[in-house]
Amino acid sequence: MKESLLEILCCPLDKHDLELEDAEYEDDEVVGGTLVCTECGERYPIEDGIPNLLPPDMREESPA
Amino acid sequence: MKGQEWYQADDVAAEYDDKRFSQGGQLIDRREKEAVLEAIMPVEDRNVLEIACGTGRFTVMLAERGADVVGLDISAAMLQQGRKKAKAANVAGTLEFLRGDAGRLPFPDDHFDTVVAMRFFHLADDPEAFLREMRRVSRDQIVFDTFNRFSARSVYNWALPMGSRLYSKSEVSVLLAKTDLTLVDVEDDFLAPYGLYRSIPNGLANAIRSVDETVGGRPLTDHLASVSYWNTRVR
Repeated sequence: MKESLLEILCCPLDKHDLELEDAEYEDDEVVGGTLVCTECGERYPIEDGIPNLLPPDMREESPA
Repeated sequence: MKGQEWYQADDVAAEYDDKRFSQGGQLIDRREKEAVLEAIMPVEDRNVLEIACGTGRFTVMLAERGADVVGLDISAAMLQQGRKKAKAANVAGTLEFLRGDAGRLPFPDDHFDTVVAMRFFHLADDPEAFLREMRRVSRDQIVFDTFNRFSARSVYNWALPMGSRLYSKSEVSVLLAKTDLTLVDVEDDFLAPYGLYRSIPNGLANAIRSVDETVGGRPLTDHLASVSYWNTRVR
């Protein structure tokens, strides 16, 4: 993902802003890191350049 | 293997486009793309969200035409295929893929101009909730398709790995009313089921298709149509 995607992404649970932590870059792309909700603290991983915004209850049952 | 697992398996994703959209499937692919373009062009500089984007068939096409597109899907394997395709394509707008739940979208209200959901509603367990959520993030337009009840499609439903939910026209009309959407246009297509088109070579597919077009245009056979493309506006 491009870092600019952060401007529109929000937490799927409470729709608050997300903050990017431990970002790993490849060229101008964010390929790894974690998106953290500024309100509820829920953490969403960026996996191989694709952010995983599945709510926590759906994350376990869905294989990567 | 259950439908959701089947859809998310790596080998299924790798072969998905080849299996689904080669041979007679090319016809379906072309026709679906036409339907989407007809409903939403021009897309230049529009913010578009595609729900259940899979390997990005529409996402990439729209980005090539200048839209700023976000493709959302539940399957990481499908999205990685999309990402590969996007890198190979000459994209004029921007294109992002992400994993998420169509029922709880990670976007603020009214962010997108257009939300597209193709081949999605036949898998939706609670269509009203999904449509309501799409409506929340769209400020202008929602485009989707449904597989129809009373169509030839029902005879081969058992063959679909994921199963299918079929809709009647009146059910969709009620859904639109409940979610404050106005119908702009609805188009019906494909009298013969997709499965048939997929399994036959292109030449034969074209021949059957032309019979479909001839018969399908008549009012008496309208209710047999297998797919409807719905173009709606946010009220």
